[in-house]
Amino acid sequence: MEYEIIIGLETHIQLNTTTKIFCSCKADSWGEAPNTNICPVCVGLPGVLPVLNRSAVEKAVLLAAAMQAEIRPLSYFDRKNYFYPDLPKGYQISQYDRSLAYGGHLEVPMPEGYVRRVRIHKLHIEEDAGKTKNENGRRLIDFNRCGVPLIEMVTAPDIRTADEAAQYLIRLRQLLRWLGISEADMEKGHLRCDANVSIRPLGADYLNPKTEIKNVNSIDAVRTAIEAEVKRQSREVESGGKVKPWTLSWDEDSGRLSKMRSKETEADYRYFREPDLLPIRLDEAWRQSILAELPELPLARRARFMGQYGLLEYDADLLTGERSLSDYFEQTVQAYQGDPKRVANWLLNDVMRMLNERGKTAGALNLTPQYLAEIIRLVDEGTVNTPTGKALLEKTESTEKSPREIVASEKLARVSDTAALRQMCEKILAENPEQVARYRSGKIGLIGWFMGQVMQATRGKADPKATRELLQELLDG
Amino acid sequence: MQEEISPEIFNHMVELAALELTPEEAAYLRGQLNKQLQAVHALQVIPLDEDTPIASHGVPYPPEISPAPRADEWHPDPNREDIIAQMPAVEDGYIVVPDIPHEELE
Amino acid sequence: MTDYIPALSAHEIARKVRRGEYTARQVTEAVLAHIARVDGCPGQLDGDPNAEPDRVHAFITLTAERALAQADAVDAKIAAGEDPGPLAGVPFTVKDIFTVKGTLSSAASRILENFIAPYTATPVARLEAAGGVILGKVNLDEFTFGSSNESSAYQPSPRNPWNPARVPGGSSGGSAAAVAAWEGALSLGTDTAGSIRQPAAFCGVVGLKPTYGRVSRYGLIAFGSSLDTTGSLARNVTDAALMLQAMAGADPHDGTAVTLPVPDYLAALPRGVEGLRIGLSPDYFRITYPDPQSGELYEEPLPDEIRAAVMHAAEVLAAQGAEIVEDVPMPHTRYGIPAYFVISRVEAASNLHRFDGVKYGYRTPQKVRDLHEMYRKSRGEGFGLQPKLRILMGMYVSAAQYSAQYYNRALKIRTLIRRDFEAVFDPQGAYRLDALLTPTTPTPAFPIGGVYGDSVLMQYADQLTVAANHAGIPGISLPGGLNAEGLPLGIQLLGPDFSESTLFRIGYAYEQATAEEAWRATRPLVVR
Repeated sequence: MEYEIIIGLETHIQLNTTTKIFCSCKADSWGEAPNTNICPVCVGLPGVLPVLNRSAVEKAVLLAAAMQAEIRPLSYFDRKNYFYPDLPKGYQISQYDRSLAYGGHLEVPMPEGYVRRVRIHKLHIEEDAGKTKNENGRRLIDFNRCGVPLIEMVTAPDIRTADEAAQYLIRLRQLLRWLGISEADMEKGHLRCDANVSIRPLGADYLNPKTEIKNVNSIDAVRTAIEAEVKRQSREVESGGKVKPWTLSWDEDSGRLSKMRSKETEADYRYFREPDLLPIRLDEAWRQSILAELPELPLARRARFMGQYGLLEYDADLLTGERSLSDYFEQTVQAYQGDPKRVANWLLNDVMRMLNERGKTAGALNLTPQYLAEIIRLVDEGTVNTPTGKALLEKTESTEKSPREIVASEKLARVSDTAALRQMCEKILAENPEQVARYRSGKIGLIGWFMGQVMQATRGKADPKATRELLQELLDG
Repeated sequence: MQEEISPEIFNHMVELAALELTPEEAAYLRGQLNKQLQAVHALQVIPLDEDTPIASHGVPYPPEISPAPRADEWHPDPNREDIIAQMPAVEDGYIVVPDIPHEELE
Repeated sequence: MTDYIPALSAHEIARKVRRGEYTARQVTEAVLAHIARVDGCPGQLDGDPNAEPDRVHAFITLTAERALAQADAVDAKIAAGEDPGPLAGVPFTVKDIFTVKGTLSSAASRILENFIAPYTATPVARLEAAGGVILGKVNLDEFTFGSSNESSAYQPSPRNPWNPARVPGGSSGGSAAAVAAWEGALSLGTDTAGSIRQPAAFCGVVGLKPTYGRVSRYGLIAFGSSLDTTGSLARNVTDAALMLQAMAGADPHDGTAVTLPVPDYLAALPRGVEGLRIGLSPDYFRITYPDPQSGELYEEPLPDEIRAAVMHAAEVLAAQGAEIVEDVPMPHTRYGIPAYFVISRVEAASNLHRFDGVKYGYRTPQKVRDLHEMYRKSRGEGFGLQPKLRILMGMYVSAAQYSAQYYNRALKIRTLIRRDFEAVFDPQGAYRLDALLTPTTPTPAFPIGGVYGDSVLMQYADQLTVAANHAGIPGISLPGGLNAEGLPLGIQLLGPDFSESTLFRIGYAYEQATAEEAWRATRPLVVR
């Protein structure tokens, strides 16, 4: 039997604010000693109160707007009550029935050429818990991460393959970085994912019980864990069994799924409004000031690059992979005033390699868009040849001087002054009477050897076309 | 007097509340809960419009007197050592508690 | 003439200290000596409830050294010509539900038996910054859960300074008893259903519950977070106003503390009541009680002595020029307690989740198999009966399957209670009241052991005060005379949001007009 796979993803996104959501401790304490980034509030001491971080709301609003979600002008915080040692207050401050935003979607272009539209059920703000680890039958607790702002975003069951799930995460990660609201580093837990998976006979319009896979925290893990679970569910159904609504855990090291606990016993969190926080009142002025910072989004920019600059989809996709690179591209195009595709080629072939080697983003280069445009123009107008132009990229980046200054100070300009070049060619012919005789006796392939001599003498600055013409004139004439 | 909270419901709640009770405590508490619920039932007879809003606070908090969210500025807390000093068991900076029972089956 | 310093009111002490008539150290030493005479042993875990039955037992922790150091700091400021603040040298006590850095902050519970707070509550810090001197932490019902102070894990619990066989009320029982017995001129209390006003009435002192959001709750160990308020207990209206002045205002640590500017309360005091409209409501002169056996609710009028005290106050105020408006309907008053049984318990159960033996406070010394057992034993051994009762009730009425029936319904009733007040305070409405005048409590202080154990009957002691907490509005309890047995009777003023100034004004006018009445000259038994 053929099956259709139904996948929904629940993601937790760690916002890159300076401080935690309800206190003034640092949000990012990656790698720091345990319980060093704490205060009375995030440790949940008796008597403390949460005070909302403005920036967490603003970043969440940006994401909601980018997902084209409905943003509520008035949203509320609620308490989700449960006991766990990494949760100091015994409740998590989250949002329940009146969350910041709902609805919206993300368009996920697939490499095969189609686009999967994934709808968003719910988008809300909440606080992160601490970390615990097991050691010799004891549990060790670190509160450094308690209170880091998170966005929980839950998709509709719109995803149909493991690849689509992976692409969704790739596009989400791109968007988060593009918006500048999360570092979205899955290895550091900035972007965490749980996957709900079920299968049904192709063409069916009902949903079967789903399993929830926890801890799928890399792009590869999402793909392999879902594939493994789909196989398991198919085997179960084909052997006459039924899929039970289990919670599964994915162990990335062993590549195995294991069962956690039964869904029926899911705790009653006894949600109720958090009395210690006023609702988030997003008045029109605040909303406008946040949305003024909303940039053109990656897929829109990709489409525009194709239309406006005539780029191929593949190139446009690469150039919009990251916001700073795409800004860099457009600034270079403006400064250059020539064929945008030529800029794209320079960027994709050479500048991208520099970025990778140096681990820099485009915006951080000393080689500014103006300098890059200048280098391309130097090559175009024949002042330097292409190899020199490419060498100029590195020189500009490391010296922080303008390309023209470097050309002048290092005498890199191509020799195209015909008189000087003719003199040089005549001198070489005069110094090599034997080779001249052999050429004239029919070994015309030696033209290349003469070219080489000229290039050597001019350290590559001679214009190849003019040199060839001059040599032919002198030898044949 | 009708008993809304049976011993079964009561024991389930005690479990959820993470409490360990003596039999005397349990008997007293269950009796008091049922009495309180009887008092609470006075609320059931009040006619209510469907659209009566809920009141999370009594005071309505109009925008002009509501504090703005705080600025995203880091202020390290000076009381860390005093907080750590309150922890019942600490090792290498970690709080230590007994393990959580495992429920993983496969 | 030499004063007996502990008998002086806060504004007198501040004036004399600022003028150099007394040093802050002199004041502090005098009050500490007085405490040594009247208070007896402090409450302690597993202490004998019947120890020294003629003493007050207001304290859990006396911080004498800290007090003297603070007093010296005030004196040093004065010596240096600096402003020592409006509460210069005023000794005060703090209900042990507030955190004070470096002191045991117990909430009168075993579960915080060893909790030394790493930070100081905002209202405490503000009183200190104004020159006040903290004498120590005073007793209360465990986690404020009660109306008699008997539920404290620290025994003996406070006794009523007018008659030590009676309760001081609660939950701010230690605060009210301390102020009445001259153990500090002021005390910082909390009011969730009447926990400042009811003990103030029982002990014959002034108790102010400000508007919700007027004073920061940062450092107040929470009970019902949407109902809890921080307020003042004092021996007269001026002192209560002086104390509020020092505490009120926005706080970067409390996102529910309003940004409304704090008016000059003291300047408003002498303005009189001419033209103010003060209402009397029949709904505050009868009380609904559940029968202890059958649970059936029945209604009965308030005792004559209580009614008489309120009517007397109305006459006094009318004589001062206030307009008394009778028959003001407050139809939802009677649902205050049932709604409170639900709302406060849901919040309390959640607020008490954090006490789990993991990061502070009591952790069971017994050997445990796993984390869950540690939770159960630590909470089982650490909490007394009243917190357990509130946790279980809160969990029940907020469980997914019951919450619409109980919790959501209670929140809607809360809206109706609020609307009662909005209607009568509406400046365009039929009643246009500036304040309501009511009794504070249905009875004077009851005997120790008289009600404790019946959690329903105990809760009904708050029937006339709890509506203000649901509605968020301010209320003040004023001494309104003594009954035939010599027990204080309290009268209450309730006003619209942020009308503390008006309540003080009315209270002050009443105080001035009754200054010569005989009962005013009577002192509590323990300081006679």
